[in-house]
Amino acid sequence: MMRKRKIDPLLLIGLIIIAGSLFLAIFGNSLAPYDPQEPVGDFSMPPSADHWFGTDGSGLDVFSRVLAAPRVDVAIAVTAAIVSAVLGTGVGLYAGYFTGRFSEIVMRVSDILQSFPVFILAMVLVTLTGRNVVNLIFVLAFLYTPIFVRLTRSEVVTQRTRTYVEAARATGNSEFQIATRHVLRNSLAPSLVQLSVTVGFGILLTSGLSFVGAGVRPPTPEWGIMIASGAPNIILNEWWTSIFPGIAISITVFGYAAAGNAIERWARK
Amino acid sequence: MTPPEALLSARALTVKYPYGDVQNVVINELDLDLYPGQIVGLLGESGSGKSSLALALMGLARHPGIVSGEVNFRGKNLLKMDDEELRQIRGNSIGLITQKPRQALDPLVNVGKQISRVYRAHSQASKADAQVRAVELLRSVGINDAERRVNAFPHELSGGMAQRALISMALSVEPDLLIADEPTSGLDVTIQAQFLDRMWERARDANIAVLIVTQDLGIVANYCDRIVIMEDGKIIEDRLTADFFADPHTAYGKKLILASGAGTKSSNAEVAIATTPEILRVTDLRKTFEVEGGKRLQAVSKASFQIHKGRSLGLVGESGSGKTTVGRLILRLADPDSGEVWFKGERIDSISPKEFRKYRSKIQAVFQDPFDSLNPRWPIERVIREPLDLHTEMSKAEKAARVKELVSLVGLTDDILQLRPGSLSAGQQQRVSLARALATEPEFLILDEPTSALPPAARADMIRLLKSLQDRLDLCFIFISHDLSTVRELCHDIAVMYLSEIVEMGTSEQVFSAPSHPYTRALLDSVLFHDPSSRRVDRKIKAELEGEIPSPVDLPAGCYLAARCPMAEQRCRDDHQALIEIGPSRSVRCWKSVEASK
Repeated sequence: MMRKRKIDPLLLIGLIIIAGSLFLAIFGNSLAPYDPQEPVGDFSMPPSADHWFGTDGSGLDVFSRVLAAPRVDVAIAVTAAIVSAVLGTGVGLYAGYFTGRFSEIVMRVSDILQSFPVFILAMVLVTLTGRNVVNLIFVLAFLYTPIFVRLTRSEVVTQRTRTYVEAARATGNSEFQIATRHVLRNSLAPSLVQLSVTVGFGILLTSGLSFVGAGVRPPTPEWGIMIASGAPNIILNEWWTSIFPGIAISITVFGYAAAGNAIERWARK
Repeated sequence: MTPPEALLSARALTVKYPYGDVQNVVINELDLDLYPGQIVGLLGESGSGKSSLALALMGLARHPGIVSGEVNFRGKNLLKMDDEELRQIRGNSIGLITQKPRQALDPLVNVGKQISRVYRAHSQASKADAQVRAVELLRSVGINDAERRVNAFPHELSGGMAQRALISMALSVEPDLLIADEPTSGLDVTIQAQFLDRMWERARDANIAVLIVTQDLGIVANYCDRIVIMEDGKIIEDRLTADFFADPHTAYGKKLILASGAGTKSSNAEVAIATTPEILRVTDLRKTFEVEGGKRLQAVSKASFQIHKGRSLGLVGESGSGKTTVGRLILRLADPDSGEVWFKGERIDSISPKEFRKYRSKIQAVFQDPFDSLNPRWPIERVIREPLDLHTEMSKAEKAARVKELVSLVGLTDDILQLRPGSLSAGQQQRVSLARALATEPEFLILDEPTSALPPAARADMIRLLKSLQDRLDLCFIFISHDLSTVRELCHDIAVMYLSEIVEMGTSEQVFSAPSHPYTRALLDSVLFHDPSSRRVDRKIKAELEGEIPSPVDLPAGCYLAARCPMAEQRCRDDHQALIEIGPSRSVRCWKSVEASK
């Protein structure tokens, strides 16, 4: 008896948002009606037909900046997530498959890293290494790697005891071949789910760092910077400068988290 | 035997489960009568509705199941009763024994208390009386040392003992009907036999109607008066056991009889002792594992044997006897504590794992769990090709041809090559494992219970396949199994293991026709032949063992069997026994048997 395969609406929404964010990360700059880094009109203009989301305190077009920001936010988060996933999966595979002193050390280092509040640690590291995009990517990747190490390791530890591993050994694979050809492939599912969720976290962290002034520098179009620059003026009723990038962050983070959850649900079936 | 009135009769019983928009009919318009004093065996493939029927008969088929029809117990319809009435009936008149006994017991309460609770819930007995009754009941189902065991918690009991605690609970209220859902699955054969004997006796003595749900035709042939076969929620055959075995009416019934190979107790009749060159020699192999508390568990001790070209050795024993560990030691999946393994004159137990990989193409293995032995993400083609990739220099085309050849060798077709293991049946999966093992034309195979996880029909097919391959390819292998009849069919030589030691060795014919060690005799006695004319309960049991297998962590000083052995004397308890040769290629670890054979 086949159950009707319905597409999970959560997955659909998530994928649409992810696709949109990636599209903007590549083409956002060219789609923007104005140059996002040059003043284009009066300061602090409310939304109008010319400036859909209004202009900010420096006369920059908010709509253009919202469209251009994914080039920074999404690019940083996606790159950092992929780097940490690759690194974490590799280390997790090794630590899980070859238990021993290395495995212990890796796990204790992960414990230490994960026991710090992510945001504070990120601020410290970015301040130490210097505020630019490449450093931000490395800091984020460094912070998210332990998550992937842990996920992969725990999956590897259970997969390792399955009979197919024993059979692979009896067939004549070396331990390295068993780990990479057999165990790795069967241990990837949790990391794939986590990848999507991590991109969401990464966007939050990137914009959060910029908001407190520890991320990329203004006037780079970036959602956190935009919220920060508009924040003092909200009490003057200039809501548009902060609200629109805020909505953009929410939608994007929701999209990545939703996709992650939907994939997890699908994988568990 | 047709008693006048049925104790329980189901009429047009139907159970459906809603599944999405459709209804899954599990039991379809089924009629069944159970009579007092009659033991009925309920058979059918998994998914045929056996267990659902067992539950429905007790009024336990519940939401979201939709139940219709009637289940009359002593003339009253169980399905119309309210919960309180049903509870009364269930406790007082119907007992249930489920699979997985340990899960059915409350882990926080000792068994004595659990039994007396059931007893007190349905009678007016005082606490003290109930406790006394619990001890009596435990003793009546064959638990020795019952006074001490009533205070045991479920985790302190072995599977067999937990199962017996459960049956004593079910019997405590002297039910009129006992429903047992695969009560012995997961038990060792000697324990299974002990348990079923007790149940059979109790049912006879107290005139209880019993319904045993099982997959094992041996249980039906030996203990059941009547057989009921289900298919797709319907009864397709319902007859007296002897009639059924003489002439099954349905196709499924015929298949069952055929699969069991009833009557064909064929064997490798070569009594001849091996003359071909030696392939594998194992001497004094020993392996212990560390367990909690710093103690060591002795898995294998003093294992020595050799295997010659073209011959097969059956390694037989119950769970925990160390037979699987012997296989793993030879395959270098574990390292022995001491002892030697020689393969064609070369010592292979002390070389590095990297050097050992050269021998992998010559020594291959098939494992017990069919699905788990295959990488779930690989298509079958890649699974079978893997050893060729690792050990040969074949071209792509040559490999593809060899894979196809292997697939047909094990009786599969090409269309499975692109499937993943998950979409094959257990029998097909095990054939794939076998094809992989044969890919590099190994000189020696270790088959670790390759048939025991398969349903009966697939098991018979697998044995037939192994037998034909043995003839065609001149295979040389160790066959590890707890199933004596399979070993007899496939193996030239036999080594019987009990608690880490080989207790008897010889050719199949020698061991089967004249078993010498008391344990071998008991093991052979607990084989349930698929033949109602030679039932175990009618045989005079010569060598019945008592009680439980001792823990391999605290082994006794003398013979490991002494505590269970009917022949044991003081000398057996004091001195450890050596394996003594009593004839060409035949040895036994029991001084009394040796003396008797002189």
